[in-house]
Amino acid sequence: MSGIVLFFFYGSILICIIASVVRMTKYARAPLHLRWELYRGSSVYELTDWWDRSPPRFGEKLRVVILDILFLREFYHRNRSLWYFLFLFHIGLYLLFLWHLWLLITAVTLPFESAWTGGLAFGHVATLLSLIGGSGILIKRIVDKELSVHYPRIHYLKWVLILLILLGGFLAVVFHFDSNLPELLGYVKAQVTFQDMELKLHPALAPASHVFFVSFWLLYLPFSHVLQISFRYYQHLRWDDVPNRQGSTIERKVKGHLDRPISWAAPHIKSGKRWGEVIGDTEDL
Amino acid sequence: MGKTKVSDISRAGDEQLLELTSLDWMTLPCPSDQPLSIRPLPDEQRSQIEHSLDGISALGIPKPTSKGEEDGLVQSFLNGLRKLLSHDDNWTFWQPLVYSLESCVKCQTCSDACPIYLSSGKQEIYRPTYRGEVLRRIINKYIKKGGRISSKLKGEEIDLNWPTVARLAELAYRCTLCRRCAQWCPLGVDNALISREIRKLFSQELGIAPKELHDFGTIQQLSKGSSTGMTPVAFRDSIEFMEEEIEEITGRRIEIPIDKEGADILLLHNAGEFLSWPDNTEAFAIIFDALGISWTLSSDLAGYDSVNYGVWYDDVQLARIVLTHAEVANKLKVQKILIGECGHAHKTLLVIADRILTGELNIPRESALPLLEDAVCNGRIKLDPSRNDFPVTLHDPCNLVRLTGIVEPQRRIVRKICPQFREMEPHGVENYCCGGGSGFAIMSSRNFPDWKMTVSGRMKFKQVLDAFQDVGDPEAERYVCAPCSNCKGQLRDLLSYYQAREKHSVFYGGLAELIVNAMVDLEQPFIQWEWH
Ligand code: SF4
Ligand code: SF4
Repeated sequence: MSGIVLFFFYGSILICIIASVVRMTKYARAPLHLRWELYRGSSVYELTDWWDRSPPRFGEKLRVVILDILFLREFYHRNRSLWYFLFLFHIGLYLLFLWHLWLLITAVTLPFESAWTGGLAFGHVATLLSLIGGSGILIKRIVDKELSVHYPRIHYLKWVLILLILLGGFLAVVFHFDSNLPELLGYVKAQVTFQDMELKLHPALAPASHVFFVSFWLLYLPFSHVLQISFRYYQHLRWDDVPNRQGSTIERKVKGHLDRPISWAAPHIKSGKRWGEVIGDTEDL
Repeated sequence: MGKTKVSDISRAGDEQLLELTSLDWMTLPCPSDQPLSIRPLPDEQRSQIEHSLDGISALGIPKPTSKGEEDGLVQSFLNGLRKLLSHDDNWTFWQPLVYSLESCVKCQTCSDACPIYLSSGKQEIYRPTYRGEVLRRIINKYIKKGGRISSKLKGEEIDLNWPTVARLAELAYRCTLCRRCAQWCPLGVDNALISREIRKLFSQELGIAPKELHDFGTIQQLSKGSSTGMTPVAFRDSIEFMEEEIEEITGRRIEIPIDKEGADILLLHNAGEFLSWPDNTEAFAIIFDALGISWTLSSDLAGYDSVNYGVWYDDVQLARIVLTHAEVANKLKVQKILIGECGHAHKTLLVIADRILTGELNIPRESALPLLEDAVCNGRIKLDPSRNDFPVTLHDPCNLVRLTGIVEPQRRIVRKICPQFREMEPHGVENYCCGGGSGFAIMSSRNFPDWKMTVSGRMKFKQVLDAFQDVGDPEAERYVCAPCSNCKGQLRDLLSYYQAREKHSVFYGGLAELIVNAMVDLEQPFIQWEWH
């Protein structure tokens, strides 16, 4: 049994990484598409000779993306009632991520006694925020008719799983480790440094179940929308304002696309040739 | 009738998923709050044409006559779906399509943004996410490996049969592609693009598209020269007529240059202007003459018609027209193409075409609005705003504003020359579509016009009435400025349908007309308040 937990945990990490890479490659290999932006306000096209102006800078774009991800600004503006819980949940998750990072670094770099004593409280607050947010979302998803439209059954289970993970982690720290920070750090150190195989093979129930649920979640993660949202491809919808200049990489890619085969079957397409030939042929339409 | 489910789209037979009744629709202010009805299709058409979505037929799809024919069509649909998901056949929109299909979290934020969903009284089938959900489920079940099992597990029921395909085709034409939903979506999912991709699949694989967009639209434009059917000869005649009209108004003969090689600017108008609103073309000619600009129109095939209906249903037709426009400009050796008051021509030539044109065909292209703004706001022509002292509001054409980001020039102009300008609410990038977007303005077959007047145009009509609410005098002329030919077409029909001219003294027109109306050099008013 314990061996299975161990296998499951490390296996799930591996699968999560592989599946994520596969999925990310799928998006990264997407062909350069026709431009199709949306604008939140004035664009470069309000100017005469706009093609001589430089497009928005990368730094500015990045700033907006970070603010969007951190504060979920779009939800704040467009769907406030959902935002309250979403924000609590996400901010809790971001903090929990930082907390786990702190745990790992502290466990392997510092003597346990000199670790920051506020660490535990930090973790509890982060968990609590996520728990409140997550429960709020789940309840809203159940009671708000609008939020259940087209929502797949399996996603309710996803929320239950996430809440179990959060609750399980909290209970493990409080009851199994007795809210004792050095003990917790010792456990983490053993996990990451492969020191205590006995502990690994026969883990206690509380931490094992936390790890077990996390493993499930890791298996699901690459198939969720989280991954591609982190890509924020949609920013192409907003800011793909880089013009196609003669001799540019964009132009080279467009030429490449025009050399792709086309096989649409409607008679007016006159398929069986390359895109470039087909769109250049307007005879006998 | 209970709430329509996604799986209902597969329901066999002719039974409609929705019975449209004005009792459900968003209320309009008095006296336009009269109950209206949509004409049902005549019995003969009902027996021959697919109408099982909502009793409306935009496409006039003939009912298959045998099971074999039905199966063949369903198979073609599946083939088309595979092509939508292929890099080669759909490099043009693969990425935003797949992103949109895979990223929706079902928060329904977009539903609150959709004028059709709201105006119709929140009918499930018009919800922005409904089409996407149907398409997603079909792909998951019928294209992905192990799809049938995983669909069952997820409870994502759908059956791919002929009724599903026929209803989906019509459903793609119950969305104006205004993309307000995409603007609202916190994740950047574009349900309008999904509508367009469905339209594209039908056009590019099954040869199914509205006649007004395809046969009389892009095909006619590429073969005869214009989607209006206007030939180069007729075009030249109409320009001559306009020159005479200008002379009558200004007392001066102003030449409208045609095919002037080496001019700085090739001005592209929507050919609808020549036929229905020649005053817009005349206004441009008067302004350009006052500015001393070197410009020309073209009488070449498609060179006198900026429209590109391909943008609404077919990538190949879209690209063909883009190339034709660029070739016309290239032949005339102009410095740049300037686009007149046509929203989708802006979106297509300024934005989308950028990834179609290469080499010398990638000619600079620009909106006419910044130039007009410069003329008005930097005092390059003498204007007297008191000549425009009537209530004016501004419609934001989706393609020009939300989709191209040209938001302020037209506002700065009307603020400067129209003392009684008032915004409609909401406005700018958040404004609602006129209800005639994505080709609806010109789609007039069977009972579709009733739908676009009562449902898709409802929100715009309400906005217009609200914008003039404070005008006391019922006789006072009110002007809705719509710097887009298609929007003007829709407004013309909408205002006539609700008798807004008679009941509320609402008139509509373009932007250049307002500028010329304020020109001090003109002895008589340019705007004649004559209904076209
Ligand atoms: S707003 Fe976006 S994510 Fe939410 S339901 Fe609509 S499309 Fe899906
Ligand atoms: S594009 Fe416009 S009409 Fe179509 S679903 Fe979105 S909001 Fe509604």
